[in-house]
Amino acid sequence: MKIKRYILIYRECVKVAFAAASTYRLNFILNCIIMLIGDILFPLITILIYGSGAGFEGWTVYEVLLIQSVFTMSMAIADMTFHGILWATMGHVRQGDLEMVLILPVDTMFLLMARTFSIDAVGLFIGGLTIFIVALSHIALPTGFMWLQFIVLFLIGLSVMMGIALLMAATSFKWVGNSRIPEIFDSIRSFGKYPQSIFPKAVLMITTLVIPVAMIGYFPATALLGQGDIKMMLILIPCIVFLILGITLYRHMVRLYQGVGG
Amino acid sequence: MGNIITVENLIKRYDTYKRGSGFKDSVKSLFHREKVPVMAVNNISFSVKEGDIIGILGPNGAGKSTTIKMLTGTLYPTDGKIEVMGYNPTKDRKTYVHQIGAVFGQKSQLIWDIPPIDGFRMNKAIYGVSDQDYEERIKVMSKLFNVEEYITRPTRVLSLGERMKCEFIMAMLHQPKVVFLDEPTIGLDVIAKQKIREFILEMNKRGTTFILTTHDLEDVEQLARNVVIINHGEKVFDDSIHSLRKVLGAKKIVELTLHSPIDQLDMEGVSILERKNELSITVSVDLDIIAINDFISRLSALCDFTDISIKEMPMETIITHIYQSKKEK
Repeated sequence: MKIKRYILIYRECVKVAFAAASTYRLNFILNCIIMLIGDILFPLITILIYGSGAGFEGWTVYEVLLIQSVFTMSMAIADMTFHGILWATMGHVRQGDLEMVLILPVDTMFLLMARTFSIDAVGLFIGGLTIFIVALSHIALPTGFMWLQFIVLFLIGLSVMMGIALLMAATSFKWVGNSRIPEIFDSIRSFGKYPQSIFPKAVLMITTLVIPVAMIGYFPATALLGQGDIKMMLILIPCIVFLILGITLYRHMVRLYQGVGG
Repeated sequence: MGNIITVENLIKRYDTYKRGSGFKDSVKSLFHREKVPVMAVNNISFSVKEGDIIGILGPNGAGKSTTIKMLTGTLYPTDGKIEVMGYNPTKDRKTYVHQIGAVFGQKSQLIWDIPPIDGFRMNKAIYGVSDQDYEERIKVMSKLFNVEEYITRPTRVLSLGERMKCEFIMAMLHQPKVVFLDEPTIGLDVIAKQKIREFILEMNKRGTTFILTTHDLEDVEQLARNVVIINHGEKVFDDSIHSLRKVLGAKKIVELTLHSPIDQLDMEGVSILERKNELSITVSVDLDIIAINDFISRLSALCDFTDISIKEMPMETIITHIYQSKKEK
């Protein structure tokens, strides 16, 4: 019953997002194009690098494109479904109007994510999916088990991004106006779109165990390439820890807002 | 009827930071900020009966909004007890807020780019209102507010008054038993204010209890049966509107712009409060002694004036009156 209600709320929020996006049609189209160009540029650069005879050692151009397309799709889904909570929380805390969310009988975190559903990232997802299909058509056909591994790792990659978005949003309750933090994370996240074997061991430790951004693009793609092994499952632990930490801290900070707001 | 809200020894204390002003203070604040404790609400107790309309009055910064936020469960009290319909607002927030409604005059639940009707649908899903109830309530409330044609227009093109009416519909769609209103008529013109007051009275007739904060005495006079006045976080008055009228007397403040200077207004129950300049004076009119229409007709006979404005007594004067009456007792 509760789940059904939450699905209905989410459906309404998505409808509202469509309605709001359609209000400013030109802005919507431009946003889609800009997001597409901005994030699709990386795979194009990869093609240029390989076209000039250079490349990432041990990786074919289509393998690298596969990683980058998975990364792009993951980013697009994050932008569409939960990334908005970061800016929404910052805005509400800064303007002191989180009360308007707190007076509603739903989970604050869920409602902010649902309300900030962004249709603009559709273009990015389509772009990522196109590259994904192209890259996939140039590698050996993955088995059913590989697809299963890919789906699990892809979802875990999303949970890493959700955890980090929640952690950043949570800091804005205490550190009002921390708009540079997301920029720092964006830079760290970029490591996830390259084959991890090109990085030194120290960087690898960070991108797999400390801030597991490698799970966003690299690990799910390697599963499709048949390079996944059981050790990969160990990396699930920090990813899940990130998500739990993000949810717990966000909930705690909402309670703290209720405690200190004036 | 029994109490629907009980507030006992409510306290809200929080810390803020003193940043100073100007470039020097701004630079200094980067390294050190002085913590300033604020006692927003200090030991307030009151109760509200089911079906009542209670006005919480006070000047800006008195602690009205903080009190109402604590009552809605969106702010935790430092100390004290709140019970609304048997709920403790700070515990089990989601269940509690399902039973209440709230309109914050300076904050909006509406979504700027889309029509209010889409926002209503979102609240329908949030509160789990059935299709039949939703249609019925929208019809009734839109008619009461006369907003049938506005609710399908984007929120951003609506006037403040139209938006506020839609805020009320949004807050009352789930038919809450208790509705909290924080400055619901702020910034509105006379007609919009009146329409909102009529709506509140109509909903109250249908059984909704209202708690409204305002610094507009007219809101309280027209709506509330009981009044709590807060000043500097402390309760200074808690009684019926009739008792408040007794304390204050039935007085109006009249601002006059004269055609030519006058020395005095020789009328019983009328006294000059302030002379801004030779042609601009403020007078107090005691309505228990002279009716406002008698005052205007006698004023017209006594002097020529180019402008007249009749106002409620300022909040500061009301509080001074209350303190004086307490001392006299």
